[in-house]
Amino acid sequence: MEVKIEKGNGEVTAYLIGRLDTPASQEIAPTMNALAEDASGTVILDCTDLSYISSSGLRIFITLRKAAAEKGGRIIVRNITHEIRSVFMMTGFLNLFEIQ
Amino acid sequence: MTKKNFFQNLKALMLVLVAAVTLEATALVQYYFSQKGIREEAAKRAEGLLEATSNEILDVIDQGEAAVRNNIWIAQWTLDHLDSMARVSYRLVQDNPVVAGSTVALVPGYNAKRPLFAPYVCRTDTDSLQILSLATPEYDYPNQEWFVRPVELNNGYWSEPYIDEGGGEMLMTTYSMPVRDKNGKTAAVITCDISLDWLNELIESVKAYPHSCCILTSRSGNVMVSPAGAEEVRNQPHLSFGTIIERTGWSMTLVIPKQELFASLKRIGLLVGILQLLGLAMLILMLRSYIKGQFRYKALDEKRQRIEGELNIATGIQMSMVPKTFPPFPDRNDLDMAATIVPAKEVGGDLYDFFIRDEKLFFCVGDVSGKGVPAALVMAVTRTTFRNLSAHEDSPGRIVKTMNDNLSSMNESNMFVTFFCGVLDLAGGMLRYCNAGHNPPRILTDAIRTLPVEPNLPLGIMNGFDYKEQEIQLQYDDALFLYTDGLTEAENPAHDQFGEERMEDSLRGRMSATGRLESIKKDVAAFVGEAPQSDDLTLLFIHYLPRTHRLTLHNDINQIALLPGFVGEAVNASKLDPAQAGSINLALEEAITNVMMYAYPEGTDGIIYLDAAVSGNALHFTITDCGKAFDPTAREEVDVNASVEERPVGGLGIHLVRQIMDRVRYERIGNKNILYLTKNY
Repeated sequence: MEVKIEKGNGEVTAYLIGRLDTPASQEIAPTMNALAEDASGTVILDCTDLSYISSSGLRIFITLRKAAAEKGGRIIVRNITHEIRSVFMMTGFLNLFEIQ
Repeated sequence: MTKKNFFQNLKALMLVLVAAVTLEATALVQYYFSQKGIREEAAKRAEGLLEATSNEILDVIDQGEAAVRNNIWIAQWTLDHLDSMARVSYRLVQDNPVVAGSTVALVPGYNAKRPLFAPYVCRTDTDSLQILSLATPEYDYPNQEWFVRPVELNNGYWSEPYIDEGGGEMLMTTYSMPVRDKNGKTAAVITCDISLDWLNELIESVKAYPHSCCILTSRSGNVMVSPAGAEEVRNQPHLSFGTIIERTGWSMTLVIPKQELFASLKRIGLLVGILQLLGLAMLILMLRSYIKGQFRYKALDEKRQRIEGELNIATGIQMSMVPKTFPPFPDRNDLDMAATIVPAKEVGGDLYDFFIRDEKLFFCVGDVSGKGVPAALVMAVTRTTFRNLSAHEDSPGRIVKTMNDNLSSMNESNMFVTFFCGVLDLAGGMLRYCNAGHNPPRILTDAIRTLPVEPNLPLGIMNGFDYKEQEIQLQYDDALFLYTDGLTEAENPAHDQFGEERMEDSLRGRMSATGRLESIKKDVAAFVGEAPQSDDLTLLFIHYLPRTHRLTLHNDINQIALLPGFVGEAVNASKLDPAQAGSINLALEEAITNVMMYAYPEGTDGIIYLDAAVSGNALHFTITDCGKAFDPTAREEVDVNASVEERPVGGLGIHLVRQIMDRVRYERIGNKNILYLTKNY
């Protein structure tokens, strides 16, 4: 699992690459939780190369979403695969996130 | 004769000897005391008889003595008046009827004028009295015993009895007494003669026993009275009892022949002896027949033991004809099987069999009519035929038809076999079967159902019968239960039958195949109680499980990385779309991370088994751990429609599991958490 953070234009983009299973979630949690500081603005989670997500990954997503809701920012989930979309559907995440 | 027989006979001989000695000793003691009793009785009787007789004689003696004494003073007086002397005797005879004659005889020379003087008075034949003189030279009275002895003794004297030649040839005795003059000098002797004729009659009448006799002898031993035959009696063995009569010195002897006295005792003794001999003879006969019987019993017992031994071997042979090792296919995890036969006798007519050929499970259960050895032989033939045919024939219908033709063509004893034959395709779960008059098996799914069966005839009844084959699709986790009527017809002491209802009650709940059969056997045993087993009992349980793959994980979150490969293989082995591997992986990951978080607290060691099983219509997973009891299905359902603020961060894992899988079931068995997950095709 790999996470690439790009900052610019008042936006933060996180590229999530690989499988976000439980161990991976634990691994990237510090990096991702740090993004909460930027949650007053726009945070884009690019899922183009995210092939898999488990509930621990979803937990990271919703933690960010809650921070944004608090700070009045935006979380945009971009380019989700079919698999991730079905997971989002099952968990009601499609309603919680702005999907592009 | 064998050594054993010899000792048996010796023992019997000893027994007879001991019995004989005991009987003989008892008889002897009894004989001795009886004899003693008889002797005592005889002595008592003799004593009484002798005393009575003696008294009767003494009575006469007394009369004689009294007659003499009463006249002695007159006799004294007549010493000086010799002319009157004869009158003394006359009066004495006249006054005393027992007296036959009497005299007063002067001592020679006492009176110078009459040197010899002895006037004698006696009775005539006409009972009148006559006076004679004894002072004759021929008689010479002074030398007669009756005269001499009283003078010598200076006292009364009874003479020896004698035959009176002058007076009628009678037996007589004489009592004589000296007569003293005024100076005390013996001057004369006064006598009285007493006839002893009545003694004959008296003595002859003394009879203690019919052949006993009494003999009277005088003081000097001369026989006075001896009845006819007395000599004869005295010459044979006898007992004699005697008494001496006072004053006269006579002795009276009662002679009793021993033969007569002990005749009855001898008779009884003889009878006892005969009885003893008879008893001993019977004892010997009984002992002989007992010993013979023992040998016969022993021979029978040996025969019985031999038959029992052979039957035990037959039991072993019969049991070796059916598969008895469970689990029968340890390298397979798609079958859990158990079977049992409990014969009512040493050997029985029930059978079961099973084997796997070409990924097909061939199995059968049968029940030969009747019990015991004949049924066992037919059972052996049936089983062999089944094995031979199913070695190259896949269709249960054709197997059963051929078996029937074989059995009915050589069925001279008219025995038949109810038979169920099944062939289960282990890859797809298709069960093809043919039932020949056997009890329909049960299918255990969520419920207990009876397998639909054609009413075909049992084997061995009709050659050429067309047996119909049937088929049914088994699902994963389905189980088949086959039995013989020894189960449903097992009777308790009140003759109630176990029945199908109790059988189906015993089939409820999940259990391993072995546990299932043990449980049924226990239920039947509890129902039957003390009643004897009346029929053979056979049970066959087949639990059809999908083939499984196992992944063993440690309590380490990084082990999750092993999941995708395992899940991919399982999905590929199933009929699922490979695209579903991701979501299935997700559900499993959620379930397993739950175990790692809650069942195994952080830092503890622990193993988690993930089993995957492919069945005809679904992919099955089982997650097993030995951690703390943890039921993920008990967690509250998360509200996926809640707003961002209201949404909890966690709780999504079990939600995803439920969403992805078609069936989620948790079970705590022993110290294990088991989670069953099923994904249908």
